[in-house]
Amino acid sequence: MMNVYTETGSPLGRRSVLFMLGGVAATGLLPMRWARAGGTSASALTFDGDALVVTGAQLRRFDPFGDATLLPEPRNPVRVLACHPDRPGRLFAALEGSGLDRSEDGGRTWATASGGLPRTQVTALAVAAGAPDTIYAALAEDGLWRSEDAGTNWSFVMDRPWLAEAEREILTLASVNLASGMGGIWIYAGTDQGVTRVPDCFCRWQDVVAGDAMDALVAGTPSAPEAPLPKGEPVSALVSAHSAPERLYAALPSGFWVSANGGVAWENRSSLHAQALAVDPADPDHIAAATNTELKHSRDGGTTWATLAVL
Amino acid sequence: MTRPGLFAAGLVAAIGSTAWVVTADGQDVPDGLSFLGAPVTAGQVARGQELYAANCASCHGADLGGEPDWKRRKASGRMPAPPHDTSGHTWHHADRQLFTITKLGVSAVVPGYESDMPGFEGALSDDGIAAVLAFIKSTWPERARGFQAEVTANDEGGS
Repeated sequence: MMNVYTETGSPLGRRSVLFMLGGVAATGLLPMRWARAGGTSASALTFDGDALVVTGAQLRRFDPFGDATLLPEPRNPVRVLACHPDRPGRLFAALEGSGLDRSEDGGRTWATASGGLPRTQVTALAVAAGAPDTIYAALAEDGLWRSEDAGTNWSFVMDRPWLAEAEREILTLASVNLASGMGGIWIYAGTDQGVTRVPDCFCRWQDVVAGDAMDALVAGTPSAPEAPLPKGEPVSALVSAHSAPERLYAALPSGFWVSANGGVAWENRSSLHAQALAVDPADPDHIAAATNTELKHSRDGGTTWATLAVL
Repeated sequence: MTRPGLFAAGLVAAIGSTAWVVTADGQDVPDGLSFLGAPVTAGQVARGQELYAANCASCHGADLGGEPDWKRRKASGRMPAPPHDTSGHTWHHADRQLFTITKLGVSAVVPGYESDMPGFEGALSDDGIAAVLAFIKSTWPERARGFQAEVTANDEGGS
């Protein structure tokens, strides 16, 4: 059963205002009509076409005009969400505790999609940028798993990254549509020791350097990034813009970071401390962020943020 | 396709329109197979097979199947030796990468990477390394060979 949030004002008027202001400048005009008292921390969101699906106290879907629809929860609370622009309406939800569910109708109904996955917490999810039926799931204290049939069957593909003399949990995953030099693309992972990446042939986790592995070899020892992410901070969210894959966004305790070159150099764009990020598949400058308490978005690549809702 | 029983040791022959070459041991050398731009010969594959058995098989497996549970990290933090058949990822690497990794070690391609595999510079000549890799490539099915040829072609300096 779907419940639609009641609104305090005229939908037409609200939509007109949001349309004219493009969203960001409307911060002060967006009342907390979606606000819900209390609730758990938001930790997951994804664009589904031009809509946003976000979990906080409850699972909700926001249309481009800001209308919110309450969605039924899967079997357990949602921890991570993922969607591919070429499969609108198909959502994947990693659940608290263990398990993975799939929806084919924008989150209105859910079915299990974890055949063969161990009963372990899924900490991160990503849909392959160039293969919408290929899903990657990171499992706590385990490693990286892959499904090539939209979650029906899963197989183990790679251990967790080894950084600073220990295996590290994958906190966030992003399929980045940049050539790995091995006939495929990259999978980036955010950990508590920064960002690492593995080619989608899964030969080995490796540092992010300019170009591919052979470029580094030809150039000799690769130079250290001139502007790396700050060391020692967990990367709680990492996303690649579908329409501009070299553009990466990362959420760290120190703020919101942007890379224009596939993660070689980073710029701190704002102090926003997000728990989850999503990029509009049609507009790489349009980013949504879930903090512990709010759903925010930016239409200028993360420089300024407007609150869409309290979570 | 193969008719190894018809060939005496050392005979190299082409069979049918696909022109497979049969080595002394009856191995097939797919038509058009090359390594670093040079055509792979039956003799090279035979030599590579011998060198592989002597230098590589103890870790990567006589059947090229890799170490057991090769996707799981060892207690040392290092990864087991991967397979060289199509269940692994060797066929995703360009010729130049394969040669460099074999000669200088994985850290030559991924700086700082710690691996149990030594570089074979000093143990094998460049021709020997090329022969081993030619042998490995000769075992791949057509789809993997085609994929790897494309990766190699896209790699600057590859064949």
